[in-house]
Formats: sequence, C-alpha cells, structure tokens
Amino acid sequence: MKRSSIIGIIIIAIAIGTIISTYADSSTYGTFSDAQETSSELHVVGKLDKGQQLIYNPKKDANYFAFYMKDNNGKACKVVFNGTKPQDFERSEQIVLTGKMVDGEFQASKILMKCPSKYNKDQVEVQEVKSAS
Amino acid sequence: MDIQFAGEHLLPGQLGQFFIVLSFGTALLATISYYFATVKDTLDGSWKRIARIASGLNTVSVAGIGSCLFYIIYNHYFEYNYAYAHSSKALPVYYIISSFWEGQEGSFWLWMFWQAVLSNILIWKAKSWENSVMTTVMLSQTFLASMLLGVEILGARIGSSPFILLREASEGPIFSRADYLTLITDGNGLNPLLQNYWMVIHPPTLFLGFASMIVPFAYAIAGLWEKRYKEWPLSALPWALFAVMILGTGIIMGSFWAYEALNFGGFWAWDPVENASIIPWLTLIAAVHVILAYKSSGHSYFTATFLTIISFILVLYASFLTRSGILGETSVHSFTDLGMFGHLLLYIGVFLILSIVLMVIRWKEMPITEKDEETYSREFWLFIGALVLGLSCMQVLATTSIPVFNAAFGTKIAPPPNEIQHYNKWQVPFAVVVSIISGFTQFLKYKNTDTKKFWKKIRISVLVAILATAAFVYIAKVYTNLMYIVLTFAGIFSIISNLDILFDALKGKWKLAGSSVAHIGFAFLLIGALVSAATNEVVSVNTSGLIAVAGFDKVEKPRENLMLYQGEPMAMDKYTITYVGDSIDGVNVYYKVNYKDIDKKTGKIKEEFNLYPNAQQNPKMGLVASPDTRHYLTYDIYTHATAAPQIKEDKHEAHEGHSEDEEYDTPLTKEVSPGDTIKYTSGVIVIKAVNRNATIEKIPISPNDIAVGMDLEIITGGKTYTAQPLYLIKNGNKFDFAKTIDEAGLKLRFSNIYPDRNKLELMVYQKPAAPKKWIVLKAIKFPYINLFWGGTIIMVIGLLLSIFRRQKELRPAR
Repeated sequence: MKRSSIIGIIIIAIAIGTIISTYADSSTYGTFSDAQETSSELHVVGKLDKGQQLIYNPKKDANYFAFYMKDNNGKACKVVFNGTKPQDFERSEQIVLTGKMVDGEFQASKILMKCPSKYNKDQVEVQEVKSAS
Repeated sequence: MDIQFAGEHLLPGQLGQFFIVLSFGTALLATISYYFATVKDTLDGSWKRIARIASGLNTVSVAGIGSCLFYIIYNHYFEYNYAYAHSSKALPVYYIISSFWEGQEGSFWLWMFWQAVLSNILIWKAKSWENSVMTTVMLSQTFLASMLLGVEILGARIGSSPFILLREASEGPIFSRADYLTLITDGNGLNPLLQNYWMVIHPPTLFLGFASMIVPFAYAIAGLWEKRYKEWPLSALPWALFAVMILGTGIIMGSFWAYEALNFGGFWAWDPVENASIIPWLTLIAAVHVILAYKSSGHSYFTATFLTIISFILVLYASFLTRSGILGETSVHSFTDLGMFGHLLLYIGVFLILSIVLMVIRWKEMPITEKDEETYSREFWLFIGALVLGLSCMQVLATTSIPVFNAAFGTKIAPPPNEIQHYNKWQVPFAVVVSIISGFTQFLKYKNTDTKKFWKKIRISVLVAILATAAFVYIAKVYTNLMYIVLTFAGIFSIISNLDILFDALKGKWKLAGSSVAHIGFAFLLIGALVSAATNEVVSVNTSGLIAVAGFDKVEKPRENLMLYQGEPMAMDKYTITYVGDSIDGVNVYYKVNYKDIDKKTGKIKEEFNLYPNAQQNPKMGLVASPDTRHYLTYDIYTHATAAPQIKEDKHEAHEGHSEDEEYDTPLTKEVSPGDTIKYTSGVIVIKAVNRNATIEKIPISPNDIAVGMDLEIITGGKTYTAQPLYLIKNGNKFDFAKTIDEAGLKLRFSNIYPDRNKLELMVYQKPAAPKKWIVLKAIKFPYINLFWGGTIIMVIGLLLSIFRRQKELRPAR
C-alpha cells in the first residue's frame, strides 16, 4: 500500500473519532422529570419561578445559592448552585441549567441565563456562571 | 399626517445613508469592471480605469459612513437608534470609539473599512494581480456594504443601517409627539464590560485580521481563474503571514481583555465565539506551511489551495455563527438575529460555490504531483503538520457547530456539559503532535536529508529537552497528569530545536530566524496556556463550610468564595487579607483589599500590597464586577468581588417630627464621680474633672445660678476625644447641654447632680453601629501565565520577520 493511502486512512479514522466523540460527549436537553431518571448530567431549560424566594445569604454561606425553576413542562424544582448568586439573576427571562438531580434537588454545575438586554431592545444577552467542578 | 418632529438632526443620517448606498454601488461597479478588466484584454485599460475610480470612491464612501456615524455619536444625537442604543453622554471620547463597534452595524463597517484599506494597498502593490485579485475583494466589499443597506426590497429588509432613527427602530407612544426628543435626554450607554481600554484596540485588530484573510483567498481564486497556478502561492504568502500575525494578535488581545476585565476567571473558555475565530487562524497557519512545502518541493499543491480557500470561508462561517443568533443558548457572547440569517448564509454560499466550481473546473490542470514525498524531507512533515492542524480545527468545528446541526436537522443535541474537558481531551494531543513536528522538521531539508546528521541533532535535542522538562515539571508542579508532562516535553523540545536553528541564523543565515522565533513563541504560548490552565488554583478556599465527621470520608467540597467583613483580616493562602473599604469613582466602586504576607516566625511583613477589584453598580445591569490582578514574573494573583451589598443612595435625612434622640440607641445612664472610668460598647470614657466655673455662650450666668461642666476623655477605636457636657441650674430650673462627637457616634449628657450622694449623672447615647460592610471575594492564582502572553509577543515578532523575508523573495532579483 502506498504511504499516502495509509496516511489518508489514519486521517479519516481520527476525523471520524472526533465526530463520534462530539456526539458521545454531547448532552441532552431534558426536563426535571428526565433528570430524576438519569444519573448523568443534562441540560434543563426553564424559567425562574418568581413566586418563590431566592436564597442567597452570603453572611451565612457565600457559596450557597438556591432558587426554584419551572421547566418547560411547568414542573417546579429546587435548584442548588454552589457559588454566588449570578449578577442580575432576578431579571432572567430564560435559564439553561447544566447538572443533575441529587436527593430531589437539582444540583447545577452551570447556569446560563438570558436577560432582556438593557442595551439593545432587540438584542438578548446571555450570561454564564459555573460552580467549582 | 406627517408630524414635524422638533430638534432632529437629519442631515448626518441622510448623508451617511447616501454613503452606504454609494459604497454598495461603487463596490459592485468595481467588481464588475475588475471582472471585465481580467477577462477582456483591452489595450487601453478602460475597464481597469473605471474599476480604480470605483474603488477609490468606495474608500471615500466608507470613510464617509464612519465620519457620519462618529459625528452622530460624538454629538449625542439620540434621535438615531445607534447612538441611543450604544452610547450615553457620560461616555468619555475614547469609549465612544468602542461604542462605535458594539453593535453589529459598526463592526461590519470596521470590516469594510479594513477591506477598503487593503484594497488600496493591493491597487498600489499587486501589479499584474490587481484585476483578478481585486474582483474577489470587491465582491466581498459589495456583500459587506449590502449588510448595512437597511432598505426594503420586495418587502424584505436587506441589511441593517446604523443610521436608522430611534422612532423608526422602536415603537412607543412618545414618538407621536412632535417634541419627543425633549423626553430622551440620554442614551442607553455602553455595556460596562466593554468600557475597557482593550476594547478600544481589540476589535480593530481582530477585524483587520479577518479582513486580511480575504487577500490570500483572492490570490488563490485569481491563480485558478487566470491559470497562474504556480505563481499565486508565492504572492499570497506574505499576505497569509500578515493575516496570521494580525488575527493571532487580535485573538490573544481578546483573551487578555477577558482575563483583565471579565470575571469568568481565565483567558480561554472554548466559548463558541472564541472557537469561531481561532479555527480560520489555525487553518491559515496550516495553509502557510503547505504553501512553503509547495514552493520548495512542488508537493502539496492541492492542500495549499484548499486550506487557503477554506480559511476565508471559515471566516465567513465565524461571522455567521456570531451574528445570526444561532448560538443562542450556547454562548455567552451573542448577537441576536438582525434579520441577517439568510443574508449571511448567502454571503458564505456565494464564496463557497465560487471556490468549489473553480476548483472542479481547474482540477485537471492543477500541478498536483503523483509521487509521494520522501519520509526524511521537510515537505512531507510540513504536510503532516498541516493535516494535524486541520484535524484539530475539525474537532473544534464539529462541537462548535452543534447548534447549526440542530437548526439544520431539527435535532435537540446539547453541547457537552463539561466543554473545557471535552476540548482539552482532543486538543492537548493535537498540540503535542504539532509541537513535536514543529521541532524536528526544522532539522529536515527539502527533498531529502542526511539521516545521520538528522538523528544526531534529534538525539541532542531530545536529551536536552528531557532534562529541561524534568526541571520545569518539578518547578511548575505539572506532574499530576501524564498528558501535561508530555505536552510540556513537546513544547520544550520545540523550543530547543528551534533555538538550535536560531543560533545558526545568528551566525549569518539571519533570514531564517523568522520561523524559528515564531515557533519558539508558539511553544511558549502552549506551555504557558497549559501550566496556567492546569495548575491555576482558587486560593480563596472557604474552609468554614468544611465538615469533617469522624469515621466518614465525606468532607464537603471546599467552596471557592470567601466572605470578608470590613476590617476583619482573614488568612488566605500565604496572605492575610483585609477588606479595608471602598471608594467610588464615577460608576465604579473600588473595593480595597489589603494583602499582607507575614512571616509566621518573626511576624514581620514580607510583602504588602492592595488590590482594587471593582464593580459597577449599574442601574441597568446590577452589579458588574471586574477583577484586579497582582502580576508577578512567575504567577498572578487574580481577585474579584463576586458579591457585594448594593449601595443605597437614600440617606436618612433629619426632618421634622423626629426627635434627635431617635437616631441613638437607648442611652446608658451612669452615676459617676471624677476619676471614674466607665465602659460603653465601643470604648471607655474617663471622667477627668468637674469644672465649676463653666460658661455658656449667650447665657449670662448670675451668681445664683450654677453652671457645671464635666471634663470627659473618650477613648474609642484607638483615638481620644475630649468633651465637656454642661449642667445648668438657672432661676431654679434645670437645664443640660449635651455634647456630640459625630466621629465616634456619641452624644453625652450631664443630666443631673446628686449632691446627697456626691454623684454626677452621665448619659451616654450611642448611634447604632452601621451594618458592617462586606464583600464576597474569589481569588485565583495563575502560575506562569506570563509565558502565555510572552509567547504571543515572541510569535508575533517571528511572524513579522517572516513577512519581511517572504516579501523580499518576491522582488525580482537585480
């Protein structure tokens, strides 16, 4: 076999590898009910439940932030984030959480929120925060 | 009925809009004329003349657009949407420049501006390439101008104009009033995160990089089109190097801005927007290397053509990703759709189809060699290196494009939950291979190499690199992970090998220095990125949440944020840190945090400094925190406030209906004698003496009256105050005159005398202690991050040297 063919095969193999890995590492969008059934991390999209209190008391614990979110099916769940309250959290329009369910509470490792932009009405801003991992 | 609106300045907008249409028209005319100038060999060069005039007018109109927009923002004409949305009166002039490109329209203009500058250089320097190369450049300029048009054609809005009026852009009842402008007194202002000096220079650099990517692309297209297959790579080479240098600088500047001004705590986050700009950069680096291989050996022609072309297509793809709103849920940077989704796709589509068609048509004529390269040849390894870079791009591209994939196929795949790990898993091995190739390939010669000499050089380099790696790994503590050690070795090997070449260069072959310097810089950059990303540690570890239970291993994970009360020192890492206080400068609140490194044995302060992480208490965005960083040669201490109390401005004013005493806590009443010392909550009061001959201003004392003063000394907070409250009996009535000490928050009353017990009554009123100020702080130590910045600078110098060298080679020998 010619060397160029061998190189070609290796390259194609690695290329396929990267694509498979992208797919394998990718996560899914789900609801809190889905999160209940799996032990792996997933993304949950929803809205802040504004009827419930945000819990962040830095004097007690600067690394504990909890709130309630309603997923797209309307199911509310307590979300716990080991970090500070993201700036401007109350104004968020949509929240994308990454994390998993632990004892009936959703442990978020990452919070991505969309706020109505204050700088341009037709522009939406997205913010992301991560906790210690 | 039309309303006559008062106070609007319509002229600059109309003029600007005219320039937009003119720039579109002239770009289109230039494209067409350059096209005919290329295909028709007219002797009088009339097409070329038209094309040059059109290009010149295009430059003038692009400058015109910029001037009008600047004039509008500078004069705060908030009747224009762009000025209203992106600036405010309080903005200093240099930030007006950044507000210029905060919006999509302004950044398109910036791109157009650089493309116009580059066109003029091409007209001046490209000589025989001018017609064909400029056809492509002007086609791109036409597309960019169309993005700004903002006119409606057949019911669809084409582009988005920066000169649109506020009343046209938004709806509201106020716009039915003729005097609506009197109600709009200030603009929305610039996003505080962009109010940073790096934001003044990062976007222009980045866009110059993007804009210059078109030149090598245009040369490749022109070469295929005019069948000048063997010439174009040589002419495109200096331009490709230039684009690599500028785009690389722009990307790292963005990374530096993120590190200095943003609070995500790092310099690279594999965010889709970052990825979108690094992909074309890497493919163009690969292109440069195979162009060199082709130049010296005739091999890799197709790869060189393909990579040059795809780099520009990827630039267009990058702008599609960032500007179409498709990234939506996956990115922190985001623009939403300004109705340009289809328009941007068309831009990519036209250039992609044009390139594919040309490559297919010319396929058989391309000088592609059938023969394999020799294994011990430089061209072979340049080719392999380019392939590895291509693969690395493909991996980044595949994951970054997940939202595009979802949009195209209606799937709902989410990006990897741990993106950074996902990317690093692939990119670290790619970086290892690329570094090692960039090291040993320097010892190979084109065509064939003396294997004995080669292996001798390799043996020495590997040996030296192993020793250096061992030392560095030990010092920088990266031995925790095998892959880290391997990458460190690969980087050091590349540095050692390239240093060897550099020494040769210094002996006389100095023109070869460019590549080795650039490779050394790149290797330093990789090592710096690796070490600071792998070993950065949060030093503000909060141990108070740690619960160690006997018999259990489960100890709660240490948390990363630390609560600091004003004036209460805390131990953090080797420092004792104290939140001293805050100060307000404009919109920013600076939190002064004092760091002391105290020697435990002697108690001496070895080092002391203050950091001022700041936060904008922005009414529109809440608290926007920016870090402050202490730079050392081998590491940085990065500090930012993750939470702080909101500053309230409603001060309690004294007003009627409240007695003054309301401000104070319930008083402390004591019976005292001179010489006593009494304690109160925040200090002590010493009763020094009784002054029996006290006088009171404006109140005459008759012999029957008694006026007594009590001499007090108050010691609180390390300070001593004196006061003399008075007691008066006048005409049989008792009065007392209290003394207040505002600094200590005290009011003291000499309220009675008990002659029977020989005691005096003192009442101590104290203001309630103000709630203690606090901040929540996060501090991260970034080791060896200077290697990252330093490597970048070295790389840019190397690229610059290479540009000079390749530019010189192009000149005909005399």
